[in-house]
Amino acid sequence: MTVAAETTSKWSRRRRLTWARVGRGSVPYLLIAPVVGVLGALLAYPLYRLVVLSLQQYTLFELIQHKGKWIGLDNFRSILQDQVFWHTVLRTVIFTVANVGLTIVGGMLIALLLVRVSGWVRVLVMAGLVLVWAMPQVVAVQVWYWMTNYQNGVVNWVLAELHLGDLQHDWNATTFSSLSLVTLLIVWGALPFVAITLYAALSQVPGELVEAAEIDGAKPSRVFRDVTLPILTPILLILTSLSILWDFGVFVQPYLLINPSHIHPGNYLMSIYLFQEGFQKADYGKGAAISLLMLVIVAAMSFFYVRKMVKVGEVE
Amino acid sequence: MRTRVFVAALAAVALGVVAATASASGDRAAANKLTVWLQVDAQSGWPDVVAAANKQFTTDHPGWTVDVQYQNWGDHLQKFDATLAGGNSPDVIEMGNTEMVKYMAAGAFADISSSKATFANSANWLKGLAASGTYGGHLYGVPYYAGSRVVTYRTDAYAKAGIKKLPSSLAEFTAAAHKLAAKNSSTKGFSPVYVAGTDWYFAMSFVYDFGGQIAKTSGGKWQGSLDSPQSIAGLTAFKNFFLAASKASKTSDEAHPAPYDVYAQGGAASIIGPGWYSCCVGNKFKTTTAQFVMPSHKKGQPMPGFLGGSNLAVPASSANKALAADWLKDFTSTDNERALQAKGNIPNATNLLGTSVNERAAAQSWFVPAAKHWVDVENGNILRNMLAQILTGKLTVKQAAASASDNITSVLNGL
Repeated sequence: MTVAAETTSKWSRRRRLTWARVGRGSVPYLLIAPVVGVLGALLAYPLYRLVVLSLQQYTLFELIQHKGKWIGLDNFRSILQDQVFWHTVLRTVIFTVANVGLTIVGGMLIALLLVRVSGWVRVLVMAGLVLVWAMPQVVAVQVWYWMTNYQNGVVNWVLAELHLGDLQHDWNATTFSSLSLVTLLIVWGALPFVAITLYAALSQVPGELVEAAEIDGAKPSRVFRDVTLPILTPILLILTSLSILWDFGVFVQPYLLINPSHIHPGNYLMSIYLFQEGFQKADYGKGAAISLLMLVIVAAMSFFYVRKMVKVGEVE
Repeated sequence: MRTRVFVAALAAVALGVVAATASASGDRAAANKLTVWLQVDAQSGWPDVVAAANKQFTTDHPGWTVDVQYQNWGDHLQKFDATLAGGNSPDVIEMGNTEMVKYMAAGAFADISSSKATFANSANWLKGLAASGTYGGHLYGVPYYAGSRVVTYRTDAYAKAGIKKLPSSLAEFTAAAHKLAAKNSSTKGFSPVYVAGTDWYFAMSFVYDFGGQIAKTSGGKWQGSLDSPQSIAGLTAFKNFFLAASKASKTSDEAHPAPYDVYAQGGAASIIGPGWYSCCVGNKFKTTTAQFVMPSHKKGQPMPGFLGGSNLAVPASSANKALAADWLKDFTSTDNERALQAKGNIPNATNLLGTSVNERAAAQSWFVPAAKHWVDVENGNILRNMLAQILTGKLTVKQAAASASDNITSVLNGL
């Protein structure tokens, strides 16, 4: 009897313990549930609808009927067979590499400068950077448009006054020229974020390490390469992958600066291609397919950086 | 850098469209209210005409009110698409005449053929506007008003340059441009006739003047025809005229900058565009501004101009189609069309036409191909891109026209 009673109590104690453990174990899941729920509603469901839409013929006609027509992978097929798509991908990749490269290198240089300059200069530069960052995109585009305008542009006027150029130079004459302007605008707008972040990261570089390297006779370039850069690597990886995401899908600046009436397949970037095919031509199914393809390309482009980032995280 | 927010927003809009379709249903608020979408032109130009129509309508239909909502040309179609998806579209909508076909073909509008006889002067409607509101033999859009393109010029500048008689042929106009350029050579960037390089409305007038056309249809298929000898002759004439007369950007359009701004700042002796450009020529030139009809290459004849205009349609999803047609009848009455004419517009019927420059120019006009996918040619900037290539010399007229023509063929056939 006693043995039996003992076993029961042992059992029930163990069960109680298990329940307590389960209860304690489920707390994190309960805590994370709202976030998962919100993300699911905000990301997973729209993504699901996007995939559904990309498999349908959904033009103005279907929009009015409120009913798409299943066409399998036809949207993807027609996009992948479109010369314009491949040219646009190539152009956008080159554009992204140029933008991200200039942003990161420029931001790094400004950050290094900020460490060296005197206090009040740093405050001035910082203030300037924050002002750039604070300027709404559309306003910035208008200012740039005003400066590079053909008819009354300030840039042309200054160049003409300095006898360096033509009063009526057409900055939109070639795709290279107009996309270069867009690049300048985007890099200009992105520099503050990168520069200030890198400046903050630079202040984390231990002074004694730099000193030790200098005492050992390392030149500044060597110190930068072997001491500063490795410490900055995680933040550089994050900034680079974020910049790739932003610049690959950039829309407002090129669309407004090139001007809707001057956009044509010869100067498309991906997001503009998406907008023209999906919204201007009211072919929503094709638009959805393009946005999914963009997702794949961006994922492929940032794969390297994200993987490295995860590795860096594991080491630490 | 914050552009990803925008892309996300775009995606969200795309998705919203789909999500909305799921919940869309036929039931509308049953309030006795007729919703009308007009363009802002009516709000700023002729609110009295709108008020007169509303008064007539509410007298005929006691207990009903009219809610006029003013829209902008730039985004009214995107807004309309959203209401088509959401099921809350207006009862009446104003559409640009080049915008009609795509929507008629997609079944967005109600067939109002049976009410045609009730509309004033419907037997004499302007051919171009009646055509842009008709699809497959059915009437979907009531002609509202039209506007043609004319030359707005400075009488003082012309007199100073020794131009005693207004040009009556393209050659005379080009000669006048040379005189104006010589007289004003001290003003940097001065245009005798300011025309934006990619102003395709103006450039295509040359094509039609020389007997060419943008596209033709045969056997149900569209064929771009800018590569025909006549079209190429027209495009070449446009190029020569532009190079002689305009110092505008070869790649920009007729809205950036607005030609009347260039004119008002003294940068041009003449500009080409809608008749209402005379509104905004600035105080300095107000008293010395007049207009004439763009001359053809054939002496004494007008060059066919683009006939812009508006149609009024009833969306198929409207719950008040009969009432909407009734409002259209009140809005396009003879009195109202006369009032529109008094504001410098072209009324919707030939029996109302007067003798203003605007109306004389409308006598010879052309219109875009009545193809379902025409609007994609416009939005794809095929014509603008071709003009930029021609004017900058990137391609010869023949090469640019051939490539644009191929493009137009494939877009118009929905490929």
